[in-house]
Amino acid sequence: MNEWKRQHPAAIFISFLNNLKQMIITLIAVFIFGQSSQAASPVFYSILFSGILLFSISQGFISWWKFYYHLKEDELLIKQGLIFRKNRYIRKDRIQSIDINAKLVQRLFGLVEVRIETAGGGSEPEFRIIALKREEAEEIKRQLLTKYEKKSPLSLEQIESETFIEENPFWFLQRDEKDLSHEREEKAETNASIDEDETPEFKWELGSRRLLIAALTSSGVGIAATFIAAVVSQAPQFLPEWLIDHVIGWFIHSSILLIGGTLVSILFAAWLFTLVGTILKYGFFTLKKRKDDIHISRGVLEQRQLTLNATRITAVRIVQSPIRQLFDYVSIYVESAGGGTKEEDLSTILTPLCKRNEVEGIVAEIIPEFAFTPQYEGLPKESLRRYMIKLIVPSLLVAGVVTYFVPYGWISVFLPVIAALLGYVQYRSAGITQYNDFLCIRSRAIAKSEVYLPRRRIQDMESSQNILQKFDDLYTIHVAVLTTMVGKTFSLRHISKQQMKQNELWYSYEATKAFQEEKTSNGDEEA
Amino acid sequence: MRPLPDQPLAEKTLKVWKIVTSLSSLVNLLFPLAYWGVMQIFNLPAWPLYLIIALVVIGSLLNVFLIQKLQWNRWRYKIYANEIELMHGVFVVRRVIIPMIRVQHVDTKQGPILRHYNLATVTVSTAATTHEIPGLTMENAEKLRDHIAQLAREADPDE
Repeated sequence: MNEWKRQHPAAIFISFLNNLKQMIITLIAVFIFGQSSQAASPVFYSILFSGILLFSISQGFISWWKFYYHLKEDELLIKQGLIFRKNRYIRKDRIQSIDINAKLVQRLFGLVEVRIETAGGGSEPEFRIIALKREEAEEIKRQLLTKYEKKSPLSLEQIESETFIEENPFWFLQRDEKDLSHEREEKAETNASIDEDETPEFKWELGSRRLLIAALTSSGVGIAATFIAAVVSQAPQFLPEWLIDHVIGWFIHSSILLIGGTLVSILFAAWLFTLVGTILKYGFFTLKKRKDDIHISRGVLEQRQLTLNATRITAVRIVQSPIRQLFDYVSIYVESAGGGTKEEDLSTILTPLCKRNEVEGIVAEIIPEFAFTPQYEGLPKESLRRYMIKLIVPSLLVAGVVTYFVPYGWISVFLPVIAALLGYVQYRSAGITQYNDFLCIRSRAIAKSEVYLPRRRIQDMESSQNILQKFDDLYTIHVAVLTTMVGKTFSLRHISKQQMKQNELWYSYEATKAFQEEKTSNGDEEA
Repeated sequence: MRPLPDQPLAEKTLKVWKIVTSLSSLVNLLFPLAYWGVMQIFNLPAWPLYLIIALVVIGSLLNVFLIQKLQWNRWRYKIYANEIELMHGVFVVRRVIIPMIRVQHVDTKQGPILRHYNLATVTVSTAATTHEIPGLTMENAEKLRDHIAQLAREADPDE
């Protein structure tokens, strides 16, 4: 453990594949969406491809050859780079979480990837060592997370309401040294006492039946369909000309049913894609809780492990797509300061699928303070037409244009009808309420989503009123919380003045004091 | 209902805004210029050119002389012991409540034009968001910054 080490040589292959994947994706994107009417010569393509291949291999080799890590008592040192050398010192006390993942390529070699997330972050909050033997990875994890005496922890409150040292330009340094170290040490301490074998306090598994339901009802069909349609639309370039003429001729003569049929088959293919994708992503989904740490592991081919500190959770979201609404299934997401993943919009999925009435039970085990089922207060009736008009107007425009220019375009008159319906459903779903120290907002774009926001996590509250809303004295409410890397704002459109007032009163730190008298004295007038 | 915030921005701020919007309105001249350029290549009627010029000029004048004024009139802030409240916006009126205990840092900053008029902007940051009070006199801005900093430091974390 006392010298500089390289990664497993398989790292060459792994980073080669990663590079290749990225470049090919870029190429495909350029190919599909770019103008490729003037097809370049095959020679050009083969040179281009061999160039890319060569570049990827050499880059993979260099990144293995010039990458050293050195695990010390209380830090991990990393040297990397051929031309631009970079030395990184990852101090034990700054480490936020260490995840051990086994992606598909790594599994081919029986290796794992170590992902280290550091506190504060800056430009590179995340760090990866892509090819290690599992024992080595476990060793790193153990080393970096142990051997600390317990000290006072730094909670999320302290990060959010950070010690105010305004005169000192180096306040952030002080923060690093003093406070975060405590926090890490405390976390390390908790982690250290945990053995992998120790039984968790709570364990929840998705199970194969639910996995299948989750896959069958997964959304994302739209995205996949767009992609497939793009690929299909590009296909003619690779087909001989007589075939295209034939097909086009056939299309022109054929009925609308055929076009509809093509659409349906594209959708079906897209659905199959998302089905398989969901199964691979959420297979073997397990949620565990040990002390303050939430452990999530999932994935069939690419195995992912996430560790999340329960005290860092800033909001809980419960999402229900229309199909899942039919069967009363929901998924639970959490927003947290650190730990979120890009593919989930910087949130973390806590439960991919469960019944709505199970939510409270699961949440009670994981994050007890969020365990409740609020009763929402609907919006005033003046809001209804706003929700509907907002969707009807653009769809009418689209329908008008389509009807005018496209044969059979009149079918699009259904668009405004669907829009009106959606607007109505959005209005029905919208609701807001306060449950003790939580603000709960329910809203719908297409999927219905509920969000629970604790008052002490809300960074600011904003009300906005546009000119149209002024006629009926309606407001839009915005509340911001801290999530991974960025702040996230949750909004609800067209709430009544009374509701806005109530929320301001609930949130305002001044209102709880100074305005209380005024509230009581103005009570009659208000009523 | 809570009282509206009552502190206005510095009067000279309006002047700065007028200068800044006048300058940025010049960018809009690109539209008629672009049309003129296209006219040189294709055979297009000339009247849209005059229409675009008229629209750009009227729009810019309205923006500089009316909207900035309305904007300035609407801008209000208020510092309470436990929170900051801001109100601004012409077409969309926004009111923001920032509790003192959520304030992470306050800065003052000024660009060249603000500096020329001896003005400064106060920025208030929370863990998730950043807000600005644009255009206070230098003296006021510094006082305000120190005041907010003081209040934020004193804010009771148990609240």
